[in-house]
Amino acid sequence: MAVEKLFKDEATEEKGERARMASFVGAMAIADLVKTTLGPKGMDKILQSTGRGHSVTVTNDGATILKSLHIDNPAAKVLIEISKVQDDEVGDGTTSVVVLAGELLREAEKLVGSKIHPMTIIAGYRMASDCARRALLDRVKDNKDDAEKFRLDLMRIAMTTLSSKILSQDKEHFAKLAVDAVMRLKGSTNLESIQIIKKAGGSLKDSFLDEGFILDKKIGLGQPKRIENANILVANTAMDTDKVKIYGARVRVDSMAKVAQIEGAEKEKMREKVQKIIGHGINCFVNRQLIYNFPEELFADAGILAIEHADFDGIERLGLVTGGEIASTFDNPESVKLGHCKLIEEIMIGEDKLIHFSGVEMGEACTIVLRGASFHVLDEAERSLHDALCVLSQTVNDSRVLLGGGWPEMVMAKAVDELARKTPGKKSHAIEAFSRALIAIPTTIADNAGLDSAELVAQLRAEHHKEDSNAGIDVITGAVGDMSELGISEAFKVKQAVLLSATEAAEMILRVDEIITCAPRRREDRM
Amino acid sequence: MAAMSVQAPRSSKTESYVDNKRKDDIRMSNIKSARAVADAVRTSLGPKGMDKMISTASGEVIITNDGATILNKMEVLQPAAKMLVELSKSQDVVAGDGTTTVVVIAGAFLKQCQTLLRSGIHPTVASDSLHKTSMKAVDILTAMAVPVELSDRDSLVKSASTSLNSKVVSQYSTLLAPLAVDSVLSVVDPVKPDLVDLRDVKIVKKLGGTVDDTELVKGLVFDKKVSHTAGGPTRIENAKIAVIQFQISPPKTDIEQSIVVSDYTQMDRILKEERNYILSMIKKIKATGCNVLLIQKSILRDAVTDLSLHYLAKAKILVIKDVERDDIEFITKTLNCLPIANIEHFRAEKLGFADMVEEVSLGDGKIVKVTGIKDMGRTTTVLVRGSNQLVLDEAERSLHDALCVVRCLVNKKFLIAGGGAPEIELSRQLGAWSKVLHGMESFCVKSFAEALEVVPYTLAENAGLNPITIVTELRNRHAQGEINAGINVRKGQITNILEENVVQPLLVSTSAITLAAECVRMILKIDDIVTVR
Repeated sequence: MAVEKLFKDEATEEKGERARMASFVGAMAIADLVKTTLGPKGMDKILQSTGRGHSVTVTNDGATILKSLHIDNPAAKVLIEISKVQDDEVGDGTTSVVVLAGELLREAEKLVGSKIHPMTIIAGYRMASDCARRALLDRVKDNKDDAEKFRLDLMRIAMTTLSSKILSQDKEHFAKLAVDAVMRLKGSTNLESIQIIKKAGGSLKDSFLDEGFILDKKIGLGQPKRIENANILVANTAMDTDKVKIYGARVRVDSMAKVAQIEGAEKEKMREKVQKIIGHGINCFVNRQLIYNFPEELFADAGILAIEHADFDGIERLGLVTGGEIASTFDNPESVKLGHCKLIEEIMIGEDKLIHFSGVEMGEACTIVLRGASFHVLDEAERSLHDALCVLSQTVNDSRVLLGGGWPEMVMAKAVDELARKTPGKKSHAIEAFSRALIAIPTTIADNAGLDSAELVAQLRAEHHKEDSNAGIDVITGAVGDMSELGISEAFKVKQAVLLSATEAAEMILRVDEIITCAPRRREDRM
Repeated sequence: MAAMSVQAPRSSKTESYVDNKRKDDIRMSNIKSARAVADAVRTSLGPKGMDKMISTASGEVIITNDGATILNKMEVLQPAAKMLVELSKSQDVVAGDGTTTVVVIAGAFLKQCQTLLRSGIHPTVASDSLHKTSMKAVDILTAMAVPVELSDRDSLVKSASTSLNSKVVSQYSTLLAPLAVDSVLSVVDPVKPDLVDLRDVKIVKKLGGTVDDTELVKGLVFDKKVSHTAGGPTRIENAKIAVIQFQISPPKTDIEQSIVVSDYTQMDRILKEERNYILSMIKKIKATGCNVLLIQKSILRDAVTDLSLHYLAKAKILVIKDVERDDIEFITKTLNCLPIANIEHFRAEKLGFADMVEEVSLGDGKIVKVTGIKDMGRTTTVLVRGSNQLVLDEAERSLHDALCVVRCLVNKKFLIAGGGAPEIELSRQLGAWSKVLHGMESFCVKSFAEALEVVPYTLAENAGLNPITIVTELRNRHAQGEINAGINVRKGQITNILEENVVQPLLVSTSAITLAAECVRMILKIDDIVTVR
């Protein structure tokens, strides 16, 4: 007997084959959507927002595209999730991971069609991914001990990452910027001390790396525009009069003179506060909140550079890089940690005046000033540069390096193929399928470049049949080339993350045999 | 605008399949709509270009020839079309002039791309070749350029008038061009000769008179009346000027307060106290010898009251109230004084000095002029006049362009011929260069080289000349080595354009080409429009 009604109204249930089909189709659609952005000749997408303003984003970054999509399909959401995780963990390979997962599912769909149990497929995939990882490990290079070579590796990785982005034309310039910035970090993966400032105007080539910190604010009136050996007090405090915070509090007086007295007292309080601040022995004061005219004048009189209304982010960073703490009370000058820097001066970038702090306490800090034709270009440049910085900072810690250009995929595919031949039973079909999915990545790169992918991949496979081949796809000439000669490298960590998370995601989606959509929560009737 | 309605097919929420056919469609529709934008501004290029009348949503009417302004007001929706609008804005930021040129060039590049894509060339190949073309173009332009010294005022004036010639105010270019040059040169800091902050040049617009009456004021101009309700002075010689950021009105505390009056004798007392309070303030001010007060606008309380005005008038102090906070920096820089935020700090050393502060009647309104400032900062004020608001606005925009042109020259001290000469020369040299290249690249570069001919072509077309005759003759002349031959629109023939004094800064041309190329490459690389939250 069938159960009459198990679920609430509007809750739906899809079972078995149908459920699986639904997730396959959803996941593959997502993979197909971002597929064209893969590789150095990948295309960009326009993201047009339906919200107010119809703002437009042009991007090549898989994570950005996926993040902003409207998605209903649960399986597709899983793919978006892995792309996000990839973005957070390693910063690059966000498209690759989705494409690989999509391909794995496409292969799985065929296997399921030929009546192989999903669990068998999963087992096969697991073996394959394990084997692929080991194959990569065998071939990694580690130049950690040789500083010169290591730097070259970093440059190569940065260039490979950037070559698929908008910065590709000036990749050498930006790779150098990124490597320099990351090398300053001395091994920490905290990208916060690298500040990226975007200024429209000029061209991408005019972007530069600047040691120190740049604050996009103005110096108060009548105050020094240049300070050497600055002691900086970073604060977040209201510079207007202290008010009684109780609601409805008011003073009753009986004469105008008393009002004037109160006003005088308020001014006096402000002056006291300013005196306290000055008492810290500083010559630069940065406040997150407004500094009003009156205190500004007092600061100007004392020869102190006061910067008002710095944004929260700016304040925190400034505190971080100058080694100061953000203060909000000024009664104990000895307990407040001041920030220091060698020089503060006003500089001009494009049409805007900015304040430049150089010789800051935290030597790692630096600022990358991006210039570009329009905001679209700048935003995309920032995303690309961020990817490169992420990968580099990861590589500094895990210095294992692989070749790029579809080389790792071919190496893995070869190893997995061999494993398939050795493995008895149905699982071998799944393992074989895994290798096909891996090859799909170089195929896509070739396709996107408008090359004959079938021909190229076949050539590549033949090349890789030889031991220790360095062959990969050289997109520029459109032929198979030696990747180590061309200087195309990728970080091992990125590839490993792509491999493992794609397999996991595919496995997760494969396991699904029922989708239950809960009834949407009803809004309460407002009537 | 019919062209604007070219909308890309919107991808629906449940989009599940993307085939290659659609990608081509999207790219083509992007190119088409971007070209539509370019075509819309095409006719405004050059000295004989036409103006556009824009009626904004709020019912305001703008007549302009400035590409950036036209595009800005167009409110296009299609993303690719929007990118062209952005492109024009960027050119405005970088060079300030050539905002129409950059869009027209981008349109021409896109047209060539359409043909290239149709013949099966991969968009990235086209995009890369375009990049190379633009790099090469910059080299060629730089080689063509003539260095200019800042002391060479004539050349600067020439380039400013070239920019002004294409505007509504072109008949006044003889007046405005030297004015623009002088004002920019006067704000150049000898310590940093390469930097010009145009914010140091203030443009004040005042309706009435004609553009002829536009003048450069060595000093300050306030588009305000002197507050003389109480019969205060309107003209002061040997002025001592104070910029104050406090108010001369009864005290008001930040905390809520109320005065309790219990009987009528107290009322009198309070009024008297108020009077005394204000009087004592004014006495302090008078004691420093100050006779002109500039009062910052305050939202919390009245800057001045009738009472304080009365006393100020008696003390023979000229008062200008409601000065915006943003203007304070400019004013203090000009007057070489410090703002005063509290009556206690009112000291003589914070004052600025000027020979003359006077209220002048202009047209239907009055302005206040401060002249003969002692130790004046590096700022300038330009007083723009015009017979109606539309002319006035356009004059301001044109003047801004001219200022930018001069600034470009200060930044990058090179001049290049105008009148389509550089574009034709580029086209010729790039065409020759393309023969050295191989394969697809050569093909692409060749067609982009041809695309550059659009500038002289449009110039001629807009001037009512036969574009084909003109362009072919130009080609011919350039092939014979006359690299400075360009279209002389006034005479309607081809002459050596350098001799005709039609010159423009190198930066305008180079940035037009690189920015247009960058934008077109971006459009080429797009293969999908995804609708997102």
